[in-house]
Amino acid sequence: MLNAIDKKLLKAVADLDHMPKGPFNIRKNGKLLSREVSGNINIESNEDGTGIVVTVKPGVIDESVHIPVILSQAGLHDVVYNTFIIGEGADVTIVAGCGIHCAGSGNEGHEGIHEFRVGKNATIRYQEKHVATGEGKGKRTLNPTTKVYLDENAVVEMELTQIGGVDEAKRVNEAELGAGSALIVTERILTEGHQIAVSENNIVLKGDNSKTNLVSRSVIKEDSKQDFYANVEARAKSFGHIECDAIIMDNGVNETVPALRALHPDAELTHEASIGKIANDQLIKLMSLGLTYDESVDRIIRGFLK
Amino acid sequence: MLELKEIYFTVPDKEAENGPAEKTILNNISFTFEKGKFYGITGPNGCGKTSLAKTIMGINKATHGKIIYNGKEITEMSITDRAREGIAYGFQHSARFKGVTFRDLLAIAAGTDDEGKLMDILARVGFCSLDFLDKPVDSTLSGGEIKKIELATTIARHPGLAIYDEPDTGIDLWTIEPMVKLIKRQITDYETTTIVVSHNKAFLEAADCLVLIKEGQIAYTGDLEGAKPLLSDLSVCRYTDLCEGEIDAQCYR
Repeated sequence: MLNAIDKKLLKAVADLDHMPKGPFNIRKNGKLLSREVSGNINIESNEDGTGIVVTVKPGVIDESVHIPVILSQAGLHDVVYNTFIIGEGADVTIVAGCGIHCAGSGNEGHEGIHEFRVGKNATIRYQEKHVATGEGKGKRTLNPTTKVYLDENAVVEMELTQIGGVDEAKRVNEAELGAGSALIVTERILTEGHQIAVSENNIVLKGDNSKTNLVSRSVIKEDSKQDFYANVEARAKSFGHIECDAIIMDNGVNETVPALRALHPDAELTHEASIGKIANDQLIKLMSLGLTYDESVDRIIRGFLK
Repeated sequence: MLELKEIYFTVPDKEAENGPAEKTILNNISFTFEKGKFYGITGPNGCGKTSLAKTIMGINKATHGKIIYNGKEITEMSITDRAREGIAYGFQHSARFKGVTFRDLLAIAAGTDDEGKLMDILARVGFCSLDFLDKPVDSTLSGGEIKKIELATTIARHPGLAIYDEPDTGIDLWTIEPMVKLIKRQITDYETTTIVVSHNKAFLEAADCLVLIKEGQIAYTGDLEGAKPLLSDLSVCRYTDLCEGEIDAQCYR
């Protein structure tokens, strides 16, 4: 069952103190650790055994499903293919995430390839946290991919967070939006040391009145590096906005490339991007309230990544 | 309470034609602010009012001179340490954050996130509604709203010395009078020594003492009546009948 490290990782990635109520699937070191299904939400292994299929019945409201992954086996690079089929009119929360604990010199990694098929008028909130811990010298790699297909009037809100310990991450987000659908993505990444994180986002607005808002908040500390690429392509009368902000500290390096492609005359696409140090007026304000310089920096970053 | 002794503040003169040079912003300022008094600092644009206020708070570092607060020299102290000594500052141009709410700032200022205590502060401030508390302090706030936050976070610290730099900027005319009353109530209840940098008639009339700055030096200290001729002569502020009829009649501009 769960040892102390597992519990710590589960708490970090899925805010779980114990086994969740309702459906869940916990994967540990490349294998199923525990699974629970409900009458409304089914979880089963896929045909080739490389992942799971989560099926939410149409019209299911206010239910949640947890599918965290934990890794603590040196040398293991776990790859999993998960599919989510969300029935029409459903409204659910999916809590994913991966926690790696590296205690030795062997590298550890996880690639979660998630495909979402979101039915008409359905809404999902998808939360994915990535954390790596441990004093080991092995490299911790997390390469998540999400592919999202939104049917008519579907809504997907994605919160993607990577706060600490991950040496290398390459995230790919792809989405195709049907008529009237909406995709809101908020990505928060903090890197430090020599960590590297790359985020590639390709969103296609296919249906009339579809809309997307892609928000990226990056904090790049010490000698770390983050690259953020966002492409929004509008093939219909639609709305898209990209907002990417990066705070650079120490010797951090960042490349941010927002790209907008309007292939329809009624498309409305905007972006705003800023890269820079913490604003001096923010620091001075907090210090004038009695915080030290370091406390002020910490408070600003916590807010920025909140 | 607060003594400024021969304060100079200089900055590099970027417009100097003959190589590196310095520009004197504050030129030998000496003055004592007494406990529990209300001081209005005024003067023409660019005369050094804000520079003086920032030098007291430690945002500007005095090039020469001494600053003594409650008998302790604070000239070399950081902003943080001055704040912890009991000096609070309401900024003319307020910082905007991402992911920080008014509640967050107020809790830092008050040193507690206790809901009841934060509510007490709001009640005291009066003009901040409860739903205002969870607003993010970002670019969605109007200039007036963020100035109210400045005032509230200053009040929340129960400072021995409160400095307000142009607190009326962006504030609607209906709010100025309550703002003056609040500042005066702080003085009455807590003996807060108060310095307001302003051109605003309401603040200058409420002050016990005006400090008129001209070209980095103190040109006058005393009551408003004595200052009126100087205010007009300096073209800083007009205190004439003409001013009364203007839309911006609240200001001595």
